[in-house]
Amino acid sequence: MNAWLAIAGVGVMTFLLRASFIVFADPQRFPHFFRQALNFVPPAVLAAIVAPGLLLSQGVLDLSLANPRWIAGGLAILVAARTRSVLAAIVSGMSTLWLMQWAMG
Amino acid sequence: MGLPSPREEFIAGSREVAASLVGTIPFGLVAGVAAVAAGMTPAQGIALSVLAFSGIAQLVATQLIAAQSPLPITIAAAFVVSLRLLMYSAALAPHLAHLDARWKWLISDLMTDQSFASSVRRFSEPGDGRHRHWHFLGSAVTLYATWQVAVVAGVVAGAGVPAQWSLDFVVVLTFIALLVPVVRTRADVAAAVVAGSTALIAAGLPYRLSLVAGSLAGIAAGMAIERSRRRP
Repeated sequence: MNAWLAIAGVGVMTFLLRASFIVFADPQRFPHFFRQALNFVPPAVLAAIVAPGLLLSQGVLDLSLANPRWIAGGLAILVAARTRSVLAAIVSGMSTLWLMQWAMG
Repeated sequence: MGLPSPREEFIAGSREVAASLVGTIPFGLVAGVAAVAAGMTPAQGIALSVLAFSGIAQLVATQLIAAQSPLPITIAAAFVVSLRLLMYSAALAPHLAHLDARWKWLISDLMTDQSFASSVRRFSEPGDGRHRHWHFLGSAVTLYATWQVAVVAGVVAGAGVPAQWSLDFVVVLTFIALLVPVVRTRADVAAAVVAGSTALIAAGLPYRLSLVAGSLAGIAAGMAIERSRRRP
Protein backbone atom coordinates (compact mmCIF):
# COMPACT_ATOMS: atom_id res chain seq x y z
CA MET A 1 0.00 0.00 0.00
CA ASN A 2 2.72 2.41 1.09
CA ALA A 3 4.71 1.33 -1.97
CA TRP A 4 1.93 2.48 -4.32
CA LEU A 5 1.81 5.87 -2.60
CA ALA A 6 5.58 6.23 -2.93
CA ILE A 7 5.41 5.28 -6.62
CA ALA A 8 2.71 7.85 -7.31
CA GLY A 9 4.55 10.48 -5.27
CA VAL A 10 7.85 9.95 -7.08
CA GLY A 11 6.02 10.03 -10.43
CA VAL A 12 4.30 13.33 -9.69
CA MET A 13 7.49 14.84 -8.25
CA THR A 14 9.65 14.00 -11.28
CA PHE A 15 6.99 15.36 -13.62
CA LEU A 16 6.76 18.65 -11.69
CA LEU A 17 10.55 19.06 -11.82
CA ARG A 18 10.58 18.48 -15.57
CA ALA A 19 7.62 20.76 -16.21
CA SER A 20 8.73 23.47 -13.75
CA PHE A 21 10.07 26.03 -16.19
CA ILE A 22 8.70 24.66 -19.45
CA VAL A 23 5.07 24.77 -18.34
CA PHE A 24 4.80 26.85 -15.19
CA ALA A 25 7.51 29.44 -14.58
CA ASP A 26 9.71 31.96 -16.32
CA PRO A 27 13.39 30.94 -16.20
CA GLN A 28 14.30 34.63 -15.88
CA ARG A 29 12.94 34.50 -12.36
CA PHE A 30 15.43 31.82 -11.44
CA PRO A 31 17.43 33.09 -8.43
CA HIS A 32 21.15 33.23 -9.08
CA PHE A 33 21.97 31.40 -5.86
CA PHE A 34 19.77 28.49 -6.90
CA ARG A 35 21.21 28.31 -10.40
CA GLN A 36 24.67 28.10 -8.87
CA ALA A 37 23.62 25.32 -6.51
CA LEU A 38 22.11 23.32 -9.38
CA ASN A 39 25.45 23.34 -11.20
CA PHE A 40 26.83 21.10 -8.50
CA VAL A 41 23.92 18.67 -8.37
CA PRO A 42 25.30 16.24 -10.99
CA PRO A 43 28.83 15.81 -9.55
CA ALA A 44 27.58 15.70 -5.95
CA VAL A 45 24.67 13.29 -6.43
CA LEU A 46 26.57 10.95 -8.71
CA ALA A 47 29.60 10.82 -6.40
CA ALA A 48 27.33 10.16 -3.41
CA ILE A 49 25.97 7.13 -5.27
CA VAL A 50 29.27 5.90 -6.73
CA ALA A 51 31.54 6.11 -3.65
CA PRO A 52 29.54 3.70 -1.44
CA GLY A 53 28.98 1.41 -4.45
CA LEU A 54 32.74 1.02 -4.86
CA LEU A 55 34.16 1.27 -1.37
CA LEU A 56 31.60 -0.36 0.91
CA SER A 57 31.36 -4.09 1.33
CA GLN A 58 28.50 -5.25 3.56
CA GLY A 59 28.22 -1.70 4.86
CA VAL A 60 31.88 -1.42 5.91
CA LEU A 61 34.70 0.50 4.21
CA ASP A 62 36.79 -2.10 2.36
CA LEU A 63 39.87 -1.07 0.38
CA SER A 64 41.43 -4.53 0.35
CA LEU A 65 41.86 -6.88 -2.58
CA ALA A 66 38.96 -8.91 -1.24
CA ASN A 67 36.67 -6.15 -2.53
CA PRO A 68 37.10 -6.20 -6.32
CA ARG A 69 34.55 -3.41 -6.85
CA TRP A 70 36.81 -0.46 -6.13
CA ILE A 71 39.47 -1.86 -8.46
CA ALA A 72 37.00 -2.53 -11.27
CA GLY A 73 35.41 0.88 -10.65
CA GLY A 74 38.75 2.67 -10.57
CA LEU A 75 39.61 1.17 -13.93
CA ALA A 76 36.21 2.20 -15.27
CA ILE A 77 36.87 5.80 -14.13
CA LEU A 78 40.09 5.86 -16.17
CA VAL A 79 38.33 4.32 -19.17
CA ALA A 80 35.43 6.79 -18.90
CA ALA A 81 37.85 9.73 -18.65
CA ARG A 82 39.66 8.60 -21.79
CA THR A 83 36.79 7.44 -23.97
CA ARG A 84 33.75 9.36 -22.63
CA SER A 85 31.81 6.22 -23.51
CA VAL A 86 29.19 4.68 -21.23
CA LEU A 87 29.54 1.33 -22.98
CA ALA A 88 33.33 1.24 -22.62
CA ALA A 89 33.03 2.00 -18.90
CA ILE A 90 30.45 -0.76 -18.40
CA VAL A 91 32.34 -3.36 -20.45
CA SER A 92 35.74 -2.66 -18.82
CA GLY A 93 34.29 -2.50 -15.30
CA MET A 94 32.12 -5.62 -15.58
CA SER A 95 34.82 -7.73 -17.21
CA THR A 96 37.33 -6.71 -14.54
CA LEU A 97 34.84 -7.54 -11.79
CA TRP A 98 33.96 -10.92 -13.29
CA LEU A 99 37.60 -11.75 -13.88
CA MET A 100 38.55 -10.93 -10.30
CA GLN A 101 35.57 -12.79 -8.87
CA TRP A 102 36.45 -15.79 -10.99
CA ALA A 103 40.15 -15.63 -9.97
CA MET A 104 39.17 -15.47 -6.30
CA GLY A 105 36.81 -18.40 -6.73
CA MET B 1 19.42 24.16 -47.26
CA GLY B 2 15.69 24.17 -46.74
CA LEU B 3 13.81 23.86 -43.50
CA PRO B 4 13.93 20.21 -42.31
CA SER B 5 10.46 18.67 -42.07
CA PRO B 6 9.07 17.42 -38.74
CA ARG B 7 9.64 13.89 -39.98
CA GLU B 8 13.29 14.56 -40.80
CA GLU B 9 13.83 16.16 -37.41
CA PHE B 10 12.18 13.21 -35.65
CA ILE B 11 14.38 10.67 -37.44
CA ALA B 12 17.52 12.71 -36.81
CA GLY B 13 16.72 12.90 -33.10
CA SER B 14 16.03 9.20 -32.93
CA ARG B 15 19.30 8.39 -34.72
CA GLU B 16 21.28 10.62 -32.46
CA VAL B 17 20.36 8.76 -29.28
CA ALA B 18 20.58 5.30 -30.88
CA ALA B 19 24.29 5.11 -29.98
CA SER B 20 23.57 5.62 -26.28
CA LEU B 21 20.99 2.80 -26.14
CA VAL B 22 23.78 0.33 -25.36
CA GLY B 23 23.95 2.03 -21.96
CA THR B 24 20.18 2.42 -21.64
CA ILE B 25 19.34 -1.27 -22.07
CA PRO B 26 21.49 -2.78 -19.27
CA PHE B 27 20.57 0.13 -17.00
CA GLY B 28 16.85 -0.50 -17.62
CA LEU B 29 17.29 -4.23 -17.06
CA VAL B 30 18.99 -3.53 -13.74
CA ALA B 31 16.26 -1.07 -12.69
CA GLY B 32 13.66 -3.76 -13.41
CA VAL B 33 15.58 -6.53 -11.64
CA ALA B 34 16.21 -4.22 -8.66
CA ALA B 35 12.50 -3.42 -8.29
CA VAL B 36 11.55 -7.09 -8.02
CA ALA B 37 14.57 -7.93 -5.85
CA ALA B 38 13.49 -5.14 -3.46
CA GLY B 39 10.15 -6.84 -2.97
CA MET B 40 7.96 -4.80 -5.31
CA THR B 41 5.35 -6.61 -7.35
CA PRO B 42 5.95 -6.64 -11.13
CA ALA B 43 3.06 -4.18 -11.55
CA GLN B 44 4.64 -1.79 -9.06
CA GLY B 45 8.05 -2.00 -10.75
CA ILE B 46 6.55 -1.23 -14.14
CA ALA B 47 4.29 1.55 -12.78
CA LEU B 48 7.29 3.25 -11.17
CA SER B 49 9.16 3.12 -14.47
CA VAL B 50 6.24 4.41 -16.55
CA LEU B 51 5.61 7.29 -14.13
CA ALA B 52 9.14 8.30 -13.16
CA PHE B 53 11.03 7.40 -16.40
CA SER B 54 14.34 8.08 -14.70
CA GLY B 55 16.86 5.38 -13.85
CA ILE B 56 18.36 7.23 -10.92
CA ALA B 57 15.02 8.23 -9.39
CA GLN B 58 13.71 4.68 -9.87
CA LEU B 59 16.71 3.02 -8.24
CA VAL B 60 16.72 5.42 -5.31
CA ALA B 61 12.97 5.05 -4.80
CA THR B 62 13.33 1.27 -5.07
CA GLN B 63 16.02 1.16 -2.39
CA LEU B 64 14.04 3.37 -0.03
CA ILE B 65 10.80 1.47 -0.54
CA ALA B 66 12.73 -1.73 0.21
CA ALA B 67 14.12 -0.12 3.38
CA GLN B 68 10.51 0.66 4.44
CA SER B 69 11.34 4.37 4.56
CA PRO B 70 8.58 6.81 5.46
CA LEU B 71 6.89 8.35 2.41
CA PRO B 72 8.28 11.91 2.84
CA ILE B 73 11.87 10.59 3.07
CA THR B 74 11.43 8.45 -0.04
CA ILE B 75 10.10 11.38 -2.05
CA ALA B 76 12.73 13.79 -0.66
CA ALA B 77 15.59 11.46 -1.63
CA ALA B 78 14.21 10.97 -5.14
CA PHE B 79 13.73 14.76 -5.33
CA VAL B 80 17.37 15.51 -4.50
CA VAL B 81 18.72 13.08 -7.11
CA SER B 82 16.25 14.46 -9.69
CA LEU B 83 17.05 18.15 -9.20
CA ARG B 84 19.00 18.21 -12.43
CA LEU B 85 15.68 17.89 -14.27
CA LEU B 86 14.86 21.37 -12.98
CA MET B 87 18.02 22.66 -14.59
CA TYR B 88 17.14 21.00 -17.90
CA SER B 89 13.65 22.46 -17.73
CA ALA B 90 15.05 25.97 -17.30
CA ALA B 91 17.51 25.49 -20.16
CA LEU B 92 14.91 24.18 -22.62
CA ALA B 93 12.06 26.54 -21.70
CA PRO B 94 13.13 29.49 -23.91
CA HIS B 95 13.27 27.18 -26.97
CA LEU B 96 9.78 25.84 -26.33
CA ALA B 97 8.00 29.11 -25.44
CA HIS B 98 6.26 29.27 -28.84
CA LEU B 99 4.64 25.82 -28.51
CA ASP B 100 1.12 25.12 -27.25
CA ALA B 101 0.40 23.59 -23.85
CA ARG B 102 0.01 20.04 -25.17
CA TRP B 103 3.55 20.03 -26.57
CA LYS B 104 4.96 21.52 -23.39
CA TRP B 105 3.35 18.83 -21.26
CA LEU B 106 4.48 16.08 -23.61
CA ILE B 107 8.08 17.30 -23.72
CA SER B 108 8.18 17.73 -19.94
CA ASP B 109 6.89 14.23 -19.42
CA LEU B 110 9.54 12.65 -21.65
CA MET B 111 12.63 14.61 -20.65
CA THR B 112 15.77 12.65 -19.75
CA ASP B 113 19.50 13.33 -19.57
CA GLN B 114 20.20 12.01 -23.06
CA SER B 115 17.29 13.63 -24.91
CA PHE B 116 18.04 16.90 -23.15
CA ALA B 117 21.69 16.75 -24.20
CA SER B 118 20.96 15.94 -27.83
CA SER B 119 18.10 18.42 -28.25
CA VAL B 120 19.83 21.33 -26.54
CA ARG B 121 22.61 20.90 -29.08
CA ARG B 122 20.11 20.91 -31.93
CA PHE B 123 18.21 23.92 -30.54
CA SER B 124 21.38 25.98 -30.31
CA GLU B 125 22.37 25.44 -33.96
CA PRO B 126 21.85 28.45 -36.25
CA GLY B 127 18.96 28.59 -38.72
CA ASP B 128 15.19 28.21 -38.66
CA GLY B 129 14.27 26.26 -35.51
CA ARG B 130 10.52 25.94 -36.08
CA HIS B 131 10.43 22.14 -36.19
CA ARG B 132 13.18 21.34 -33.73
CA HIS B 133 10.83 20.13 -31.03
CA TRP B 134 10.32 17.13 -33.33
CA HIS B 135 14.01 16.39 -32.90
CA PHE B 136 13.43 16.23 -29.14
CA LEU B 137 10.40 13.99 -29.67
CA GLY B 138 12.39 11.61 -31.87
CA SER B 139 15.11 11.16 -29.27
CA ALA B 140 12.69 11.04 -26.32
CA VAL B 141 10.27 8.49 -27.83
CA THR B 142 13.16 6.23 -28.83
CA LEU B 143 14.58 6.36 -25.32
CA TYR B 144 11.19 5.93 -23.65
CA ALA B 145 10.29 2.84 -25.69
CA THR B 146 13.72 1.24 -25.21
CA TRP B 147 13.78 2.02 -21.50
CA GLN B 148 10.34 0.58 -20.80
CA VAL B 149 11.03 -2.62 -22.77
CA ALA B 150 14.30 -3.07 -20.86
CA VAL B 151 12.63 -2.46 -17.48
CA VAL B 152 9.80 -4.90 -18.26
CA ALA B 153 12.39 -7.50 -19.32
CA GLY B 154 14.23 -6.91 -16.06
CA VAL B 155 11.04 -7.22 -14.02
CA VAL B 156 10.11 -10.45 -15.80
CA ALA B 157 13.62 -11.91 -15.48
CA GLY B 158 13.57 -10.66 -11.89
CA ALA B 159 14.83 -13.20 -9.44
CA GLY B 160 15.99 -15.41 -12.34
CA VAL B 161 19.23 -13.45 -12.63
CA PRO B 162 21.81 -15.10 -10.34
CA ALA B 163 23.37 -12.78 -7.75
CA GLN B 164 26.85 -13.97 -8.81
CA TRP B 165 26.46 -12.01 -12.05
CA SER B 166 26.70 -8.84 -9.93
CA LEU B 167 24.39 -7.09 -12.40
CA ASP B 168 23.83 -4.33 -9.83
CA PHE B 169 27.39 -3.19 -10.53
CA VAL B 170 26.25 -2.06 -14.00
CA VAL B 171 24.35 0.71 -12.22
CA VAL B 172 27.46 1.95 -10.41
CA LEU B 173 29.44 1.82 -13.68
CA THR B 174 26.73 3.76 -15.50
CA PHE B 175 26.89 6.45 -12.83
CA ILE B 176 30.69 6.53 -13.14
CA ALA B 177 30.35 7.15 -16.86
CA LEU B 178 27.91 9.99 -16.15
CA LEU B 179 30.03 11.41 -13.31
CA VAL B 180 33.42 11.64 -15.04
CA PRO B 181 32.44 14.14 -17.77
CA VAL B 182 30.62 16.51 -15.36
CA VAL B 183 33.69 16.94 -13.12
CA ARG B 184 35.44 19.79 -14.95
CA THR B 185 36.44 22.53 -12.50
CA ARG B 186 38.08 22.51 -9.07
CA ALA B 187 34.71 23.30 -7.56
CA ASP B 188 33.24 20.21 -9.28
CA VAL B 189 36.06 18.08 -7.84
CA ALA B 190 35.33 19.48 -4.37
CA ALA B 191 31.61 18.75 -4.78
CA ALA B 192 32.30 15.16 -5.84
CA VAL B 193 34.95 14.40 -3.19
CA VAL B 194 32.95 15.90 -0.31
CA ALA B 195 29.73 14.21 -1.48
CA GLY B 196 31.43 10.81 -1.80
CA SER B 197 33.21 11.04 1.57
CA THR B 198 30.09 12.25 3.37
CA ALA B 199 28.06 9.43 1.86
CA LEU B 200 30.66 6.94 3.15
CA ILE B 201 30.81 8.46 6.63
CA ALA B 202 27.01 8.59 6.83
CA ALA B 203 26.59 5.03 5.53
CA GLY B 204 25.20 3.88 8.87
CA LEU B 205 22.22 6.24 8.77
CA PRO B 206 18.82 4.61 8.25
CA TYR B 207 16.69 4.94 5.11
CA ARG B 208 19.71 5.57 2.89
CA LEU B 209 19.86 9.11 4.22
CA SER B 210 23.59 8.99 3.41
CA LEU B 211 22.69 9.73 -0.21
CA VAL B 212 20.83 12.93 0.68
CA ALA B 213 23.46 13.97 3.24
CA GLY B 214 26.29 13.36 0.76
CA SER B 215 24.53 15.22 -2.06
CA LEU B 216 23.76 18.29 0.05
CA ALA B 217 27.28 18.41 1.54
CA GLY B 218 28.78 18.14 -1.95
CA ILE B 219 26.61 20.93 -3.34
CA ALA B 220 27.58 23.16 -0.40
CA ALA B 221 31.29 22.38 -0.90
CA GLY B 222 31.11 23.19 -4.61
CA MET B 223 29.42 26.52 -3.91
CA ALA B 224 31.94 27.41 -1.20
CA ILE B 225 34.90 26.83 -3.55
CA GLU B 226 33.16 28.75 -6.32
CA ARG B 227 32.62 31.73 -4.00
CA SER B 228 36.13 31.80 -2.58
CA ARG B 229 37.50 31.75 -6.13
CA ARG B 230 35.41 34.74 -7.18
CA ARG B 231 36.43 36.81 -4.17
CA PRO B 232 39.63 38.81 -4.87
